[in-house]
Amino acid sequence: MKSARLFVLTTAIGLGLSAALCSHAVSANDSVNDNDDSSLVVAVRRLTEPQYRQSIADVFGDTIQISGRFEPERRELGLQALGSATLSLTAAGFEQYFTLAQDISRQVLSEQQRATSTPCTPASVSSFDQDCAAQFINHYGELLFRRPLSTAELDARLAAAASGTQQSGDFYTGLQLALSSLLAAPEYLFRIERAEPDPANADGWRLDAYSRASRLSFLFWNSAPDAELLAAAASGELLTNEGLQSQIARLSESPRVQEGIQAFLIDMMQIDGFDNMVKESSIYPKFNQLVADSAEQQMIRTLVDLLVVKERDYREIFTSNETFLNRPLAAIYQVPFASSEEWAPYTFPESAERSGIFSQIGFLSLYAHPGTSSPTIRGIKLHEIFLCEHTPEPPADVDFSAVVDSDAATSRERLLDHMSNPGCIVCHQRSDPPGLALEHFDGLGQLRKFENGQLIDVTADLFGNKFVGAQGLGKFLYNDPRASSCLVRNVYAYGAARMPGSAERTYINTQIEQFAGNGYRVPALFSQIARTPEFFKVVLPQGVAKNASSAPDTARAQSQQQGE
Amino acid sequence: MLNRTEFVKAVFLSATTLVLPLTTHAEWQRSYVIEWNEPAMYFAGESGIEGPGSDCPQGVNPELEWVEVLIRAGYTREEAEWLRNPANPSRNPSHGQNQMAFRGKDRANVYVNPTSYPDPGLVPMTGNVAEGLNLDGNTDTGLVSPTGEPGIDNTFYQTLGCWKTYRGPERLSSGAMQFNDGMRNGSWTMVIVVSGEGSDPANDSNVMVGFYMSQDNMVKGGDGNISPHYTYRIQPHAKYEGLFPARTVDGVIESREPAHVMLRDPGYTRDLELLQAQIKLEMKDDGTLRGYVGGYRPWLPVYQGWVNARGPVIESLTWVELPAVYYALSRGADYHPEGNRDEKTHISYALRVDALPAFVMTPDASEVATRVVSYKDQAPALPADSGPMVGRSRIIDGLVIDPNAEFQAGPNAVILPPR
Repeated sequence: MKSARLFVLTTAIGLGLSAALCSHAVSANDSVNDNDDSSLVVAVRRLTEPQYRQSIADVFGDTIQISGRFEPERRELGLQALGSATLSLTAAGFEQYFTLAQDISRQVLSEQQRATSTPCTPASVSSFDQDCAAQFINHYGELLFRRPLSTAELDARLAAAASGTQQSGDFYTGLQLALSSLLAAPEYLFRIERAEPDPANADGWRLDAYSRASRLSFLFWNSAPDAELLAAAASGELLTNEGLQSQIARLSESPRVQEGIQAFLIDMMQIDGFDNMVKESSIYPKFNQLVADSAEQQMIRTLVDLLVVKERDYREIFTSNETFLNRPLAAIYQVPFASSEEWAPYTFPESAERSGIFSQIGFLSLYAHPGTSSPTIRGIKLHEIFLCEHTPEPPADVDFSAVVDSDAATSRERLLDHMSNPGCIVCHQRSDPPGLALEHFDGLGQLRKFENGQLIDVTADLFGNKFVGAQGLGKFLYNDPRASSCLVRNVYAYGAARMPGSAERTYINTQIEQFAGNGYRVPALFSQIARTPEFFKVVLPQGVAKNASSAPDTARAQSQQQGE
Repeated sequence: MLNRTEFVKAVFLSATTLVLPLTTHAEWQRSYVIEWNEPAMYFAGESGIEGPGSDCPQGVNPELEWVEVLIRAGYTREEAEWLRNPANPSRNPSHGQNQMAFRGKDRANVYVNPTSYPDPGLVPMTGNVAEGLNLDGNTDTGLVSPTGEPGIDNTFYQTLGCWKTYRGPERLSSGAMQFNDGMRNGSWTMVIVVSGEGSDPANDSNVMVGFYMSQDNMVKGGDGNISPHYTYRIQPHAKYEGLFPARTVDGVIESREPAHVMLRDPGYTRDLELLQAQIKLEMKDDGTLRGYVGGYRPWLPVYQGWVNARGPVIESLTWVELPAVYYALSRGADYHPEGNRDEKTHISYALRVDALPAFVMTPDASEVATRVVSYKDQAPALPADSGPMVGRSRIIDGLVIDPNAEFQAGPNAVILPPR
């Protein structure tokens, strides 16, 4: 009977939170700290799966198992970080998060864990202890919400804990309900950034201290702020230049910065989709899921080692032949694996024709068809990922028969058929040349010289820039200023959740110059951008008055309209 | 411009042939992993797996009427029928029917005392074509290869070629599939290193070929086949290793002189000891290696291998009486080691080998194994022989004996249940 009542209570909390989520996603202003109703929400970003996982590990320890499916991410302008700012939750997605919340709460407050996870001991295990429950909820609430709880937020969880304790006769079961409600709350699942009137700038806005803390923490560590950063926010230290610089130095010098930069690189380089990669087994029999996973790992290991561990020139990602191999990958690259470890460093010889990250199996196989290579897809992705140049979708009435029905032996010849269509040539003359330079690698990224018995031509001409093969393409990208410019803009967009606009052209150009001056070192670029006021610049949502004195009213009115 | 075949050849050459620095002993090296190996049992069947053909006109040995076998061995019909009755509580399916062992003279165990039982005979193999090698150099003896080469010594095939377990086209006999599946699924791995001192790998008078164990499993691709170009570390083994002095002629590796080797047998015997061992392996254009390892192997361990795989089970599944195998091998034996001229203890044999290009590393994985040398001195001592086992079951005299069983088989066992 108790368990039935508890189930009803748990479900009620879930449904209540679900309903709350729908309204909070658009009117998060209502959850503002009850001591300050002059702030407004300026950005809402859904936590990515890695951020969710890392946050849980940081708050509760890495022994907590997280088994569940996450809502799919969405990429916008090449970045999931930008897509996350446009995402809400589906009903099914919320169910998943709610189930995860219950599961995590159960683990955190299990008999084995509760002694270390609970900051106090209740007077009695079978009755409700208000003080102890408040300590627990406040402690974890601040870590999960990345700011202190408001009185209303605390009271709601205390009520849930009290009711749960009463119905179950167990204090810790009551705490589980309270913790579940924190973990399923929009304030945890979404990074809600708030602005407040800027005292130094009448009618201006500044990002509040806790939002600054989150922005820094997720940029450098890909996780929620730690206790020290929250304390710096609470004390107002993050609102001072000196305090801000001090925390940036601490975050950027931590070994954890590797996780933060790695998360950015995975996002920018679009190192995802390997779980769903399909290859025709009769054409690429060596391919299996282990190969796909290994290819993904190779890209990540290569980038982190080159850019973070060794702090080398960013542009070397286009030319370096230093990488890491495991046994399955070595078999596909057809080189010996000279190690008894799972992974080992490896440098491709010149004869391998490899040149940087885009010539690895991961990129080459991900951006290919199941049974063939694809110069067009590879070219589109090269432009998009490394040069921030996006290619529009093909028109709906495009005639692919010229390519599909072609008797031509090589991709180049088939694409030439395609290029005879004036509607196609506009995009293809830009996308195809880099992809054609990679045609010595088949749809799995294996080296080849022939296609259907015909020698493959890997020369390319991109608007007068001529290069040959992957190595020529690598040199071209190394020297192309668009590549470093793209990186700088992406770092800013990744951290600030918006792509810099034309008004920030001067700022970005300055950052690009400084990036070059620092030897194109990525870790330095992270610190460089985080140290600029523009990184915390407030961009008000559309429709909100720019005047700080009237904006909250506008926002609240909008929220009420949407709520109705 | 290279045509496609030439290009494939060039790629494989570059991928698996290493041109070595002048300071090393070898000038070139190739390496492989054995992806399939089975006794070279020529199949001249007209169709199917076991069908009759010019080699086995009667097909395979037929399934036995075990009740009649037991009656001939001295059991009453009532006893024989009860022994074969599935309701018999001693017919534990994992143990087979242990009492079947006791059908020799005075109910001796025929598996360990096969001569206590008259030779039941095997279906004879009558063809004169065989795969394998000319081990004795005599073209006037032996059989003829499928390509017409005389002098092929493979009495093992002549002896057991019509036995159900060996009968079938390449890769399709039940025995070959059973043991190769085990190997391909990770039970063991053997690699081959070929190195030469000449400048032309295809024609080199001074070549060495090494067969080694590896602790690295083969990997299957999406098509179910073993993938080439994986890396394997040599695992020094105190027993399983074979080094062959050889030469290459037009891409075919041939022995320069016989060797004494011990390889991992794809069979219940496990030990494939070969005296006067030779090889004939073709380095094919597609990078693979295919051919034969031949020699004279001791025949008694072959018989014992089948017995120790649980005699009653083997007899039931492969449709032979094991004493027939004993007698056949004994009759077919055609070699004895030097100094022992009284008894033929060995039988000529050939193993058909298919190997894929692979990278074979020295035991510490630090470098490609460029030279063919013995690694036995690096091998750990072999574990103490714990006697034959099948899974976790110890085999005693060809039987799995459950000491707690209510009914125990034996010469004096009461066969019929109390009424």
